[in-house]
Amino acid sequence: MVDLDPLPFVSNETLTRIREALTPSPRTVRNLRKELRQSGLAKLGIALIVGVLLMAAFAPVLAPHNPTNQNLDENQLPPLGFDRQTTNTTSEMVNGSITIVNQTSWVNSTVEHPLGTDSLGRDMLSRTIYGARTSLIVGIVGTSIAALFGVTVGLLAGYYSGRIDDVLMRSADVMLAFPSLVLAVALVGLIGTASVRVPDPFVLAGLTPNMPETFTLPGTVIIVVGLVNWVWFARVSRSEALSVRSEEYIKAARSVGASDRHIVLRHVLPNSITPIIVLATIQVAAIILLESALAFLGFSGTTLSWGFDIAQGRQYLSTSWWIATVPGLAIVVTVVGINLLGDWLRDALDPGIEGEGGGP
Amino acid sequence: MTDPLVEVEDLEKYYYEDDSLLDRLTGAEPTSVKAVDGVSFTVERGETLGLVGESGCGKSTTGETLLRLREATGGRVSFDGEDVFAMDGADLTEFRKRAGIVFQDPFSSLDPRMTAREIIAEPLAVHDVGTAADRRSRAAELMERVGLSSAQLDRYPNEFSGGQRQRIGIARALALEPDFVVCDEPVSALDVSVQAQILNLLDDLQSEFDLTYLFIAHDLSVVRHITDRVAVMYLGEVVETGPTDDIFEDPGHPYTEALLESVPRADASEHGRRVDALPGDVPSPRNPPAGCRFHTRCPYAREVCRETDPQSVAGDSAGDEQRRIACFRTDTDHDYWGSEPLEHARAEPMADDD
Amino acid sequence: MAADSGRDLLRVEDVSTRFFTEEGQINAVEEVSFTVREGEVFGIVGESGSGKSVTALSLVDLVESPGRVTAGEIWFRTPDLAETVADDHPDAVDGEFVDLQRMPAGVRRSLRGPSFSMIFQDPMSSFNPSVTVGEQIAEAVEVQRRASANPRSTRSRSQGYGLGRLLFDTVVPTRSYVSRESRERAVDLLDQVGIPDPAERAEEYPHQFSGGMLQRAMVAQALAGEPDVLIADEPTTALDVTIQAQILNLLDDLQGETGMSIVLITHNLGVIARMCDRVSVMYAGEIVERGSLDALFENPAHPYTQGLLGSIPDLEDPASRLQPIEGSVPDLVDAEMDDRCYFADRCPKAMTECLDKPPEFPVDGDDEHAAKCVLADHDYVESEALADDYFASPLEGMDDTVEGEADD
Repeated sequence: MVDLDPLPFVSNETLTRIREALTPSPRTVRNLRKELRQSGLAKLGIALIVGVLLMAAFAPVLAPHNPTNQNLDENQLPPLGFDRQTTNTTSEMVNGSITIVNQTSWVNSTVEHPLGTDSLGRDMLSRTIYGARTSLIVGIVGTSIAALFGVTVGLLAGYYSGRIDDVLMRSADVMLAFPSLVLAVALVGLIGTASVRVPDPFVLAGLTPNMPETFTLPGTVIIVVGLVNWVWFARVSRSEALSVRSEEYIKAARSVGASDRHIVLRHVLPNSITPIIVLATIQVAAIILLESALAFLGFSGTTLSWGFDIAQGRQYLSTSWWIATVPGLAIVVTVVGINLLGDWLRDALDPGIEGEGGGP
Repeated sequence: MTDPLVEVEDLEKYYYEDDSLLDRLTGAEPTSVKAVDGVSFTVERGETLGLVGESGCGKSTTGETLLRLREATGGRVSFDGEDVFAMDGADLTEFRKRAGIVFQDPFSSLDPRMTAREIIAEPLAVHDVGTAADRRSRAAELMERVGLSSAQLDRYPNEFSGGQRQRIGIARALALEPDFVVCDEPVSALDVSVQAQILNLLDDLQSEFDLTYLFIAHDLSVVRHITDRVAVMYLGEVVETGPTDDIFEDPGHPYTEALLESVPRADASEHGRRVDALPGDVPSPRNPPAGCRFHTRCPYAREVCRETDPQSVAGDSAGDEQRRIACFRTDTDHDYWGSEPLEHARAEPMADDD
Repeated sequence: MAADSGRDLLRVEDVSTRFFTEEGQINAVEEVSFTVREGEVFGIVGESGSGKSVTALSLVDLVESPGRVTAGEIWFRTPDLAETVADDHPDAVDGEFVDLQRMPAGVRRSLRGPSFSMIFQDPMSSFNPSVTVGEQIAEAVEVQRRASANPRSTRSRSQGYGLGRLLFDTVVPTRSYVSRESRERAVDLLDQVGIPDPAERAEEYPHQFSGGMLQRAMVAQALAGEPDVLIADEPTTALDVTIQAQILNLLDDLQGETGMSIVLITHNLGVIARMCDRVSVMYAGEIVERGSLDALFENPAHPYTQGLLGSIPDLEDPASRLQPIEGSVPDLVDAEMDDRCYFADRCPKAMTECLDKPPEFPVDGDDEHAAKCVLADHDYVESEALADDYFASPLEGMDDTVEGEADD
């Protein structure tokens, strides 16, 4: 059970409160389990997400090749089952006249590269598996930044109302007025792409010696997407805070002498968290898409991402279409999984779970 | 007689509309809703004072403003001799420990994400009372005292019925061992049979812990049962104060009279009893009638009632000093008696009146 | 208040209404039977969870899914209808009475307005906030007018008012759905319910009305079809006591003028005493006692009725201590209700025979007065009493599963 001792360290208590706020009550968990059993779509969503998560976590183990190994002999190989013919048209000087020679050759797919290779001969399957890391990390960390900042702003604006609310929300409105992509591009242009190289634990442990030693996190992109998306969190948490604020248990807490900080952390936050969780799942999907767009435009800090592959595959769309399509499908699958989960969560956590039994 | 525990003098709580920056720039006059307009009463130690009135009369606002849950716009409240509105810091903390409140709505007065134990122990946690183990056992003790099983401390509010939640709210109010508890319509949202349980509980707790209650309600039968003295409010003002039995048996103010007449009795003799007590609706507190606020509906209203607002006069027509009635009719020498009756007034006088 | 009630108008026999929810089946109304006479005020009193509101909704077929009326008959005296349907539904007709339950839904719907009408507790949520009050009442009048012009066709009620019409009207201002006569009648109705300056007030919106005024407007709307039975579900609970007195006077007056019957549902025994001729008391979905007003207040037979009366503080004579009924209302979930007297676990006089469901017994030879309790039949026998903790649930700190909740 929760220890009610207020410790002298602010951050400790704050962390406890936040942890409690995010922990659903046992009844909610029971209800969620029941709802989950009934929803096939939710199970599908969770399966997809878990699949992508595992893919990202165990990338070095799962990927058959090093995604950065170029092999120009094997470039633009098609995926299995998509063997194709190419026609090389050359001209030759034969006996003083120019002859056009059409040379048809087969480009075969190989089991070595089941999803084909890109224009530099890098294995698509491996690139896609590794690309999951970039997308998920940017998605989750970016959302966390957005959530942290946005919820703080929103809760304060909603709880205090008045001038604070005005100032905070008007700045949010200003943010919203900028198209997020343009804003992201501008910010990356200003700060540059602060890529962080993170050593890969699997390689360090010697389990997968052929894989890249470090993994690049596109730092600026993460911060940028976080800063661009905080507004949604602010809006949702503000309206929740506004409605919670007028509940009688808030009055009760004040009557007992609780400080504003105590009330916001202990009462307002936990009761506002439900729509925020739902929003967070949906935001992860949106941020993945945003990162892909940024990479597509060339602003990503890493070359190992789905968006980057789509970008480089664009020019080959009519011939080596898989270079753009495979990562594109990966994005679709991930986003669909996240949205399915988010939709289901929203309905499952809907009011009525904590409410009275209906009927007479 | 010892000093009263709570003294309220000319308490005012106005809400200002049309008061934003833009309005001030354009020079618009702020309109005020005079929710509480000059309310005065005292609460003696150990007694239960009832604060009674219909919706919009300002009784709940009075209760909350008295406890500084809202900021008053005027007047003075003293608790045990100290000015409540001037308190800050340590004094205010002390006050919060000594004055508690029980709310009306058993559903929204408990945080749905906290267990019963956490709810009851929260006041102790806020004031850093005892160790965690101490607080746990105190919560269990309080839970039992209000008639619930301490085995249910780990449950959430939605697992309790309305009456049980109200008990939890009472336990919470008692956690800091207050001297004074404002009961803001504590039984209005409950079923009749549960009401009785809670009223008995409040009664018992009062004797056991030597509590002083301000009991706010609109249900007159409940008020009659539980209070020692009563203050009747109408449109932000107190129109009558006095010992409960006296007021109920012999109401002095026409509004009190009308209120009592309107309540249907749970008795077969009530059948077919037509009550034409008060015409029309309560006027809006944004625009209260001039003079005596009640004059637009008063069956005894006369010209002078439209011009001046009667101040609470001590003593009723029988000379009982404990009664305070804000009506000219208590003064046999007043100009009222020479003034012309207003159109809606009834033919005078009522046979069993005065 | 009727001087002398007439013949039977409505006979409810063994009606049960169940809600089929995810948490289980809820027996909201359990084999309820009563009769309403012409020109009388019939009261149904009960606390929350007693099933009184659902009973009212069952009468007019307004029970929403996942609930529905699962059993019973509702016999309504309507000679015209009886004649019309006698050939097609011979077993649904008994003289001048028609069993509404056996009628197609369309027929039941067509009776709402001209035969049955209902007013609810919260007037503010019963009106559309974006349409003027006069318009809403006029609409009700219009629907009735069109329906009575074409009694056979249930379609005629909404004739000419589909989506196409709505869009058309938005774009091209033409004749509206509501005729001038209906509007005038709406103003008359507002006048009849005692609203001053009815013509001006008809042009106002619901938020401009006070609670009492709006409740009057709701009554006006309910009167649009000149119903035979007005069902009032807690009509004054949300109102101040002085306004409540006005509304009760109004209902009284209207009943005198129109001769309609009123089914008055409330938890307030004072209101019951003021208004009703005959009363039934509901608990846990059943009628536990019924009788004339005098019988019930002066000689209550069922311990629940006695408990109710004993737990109310008396305005005129405050007892030193109230006698509450211990415990709380059952949940009505089918799986948890045994076949015993539902009140036994809270009854101070429960005996072993109460473990079987008691039938209705007449009280003191008065066939108007009956109670579902063995104590109406014979006296309390101390030796047969059930122990105080007979029904106590094994809650005391054992495990943390919530009592009564199905385990996932």
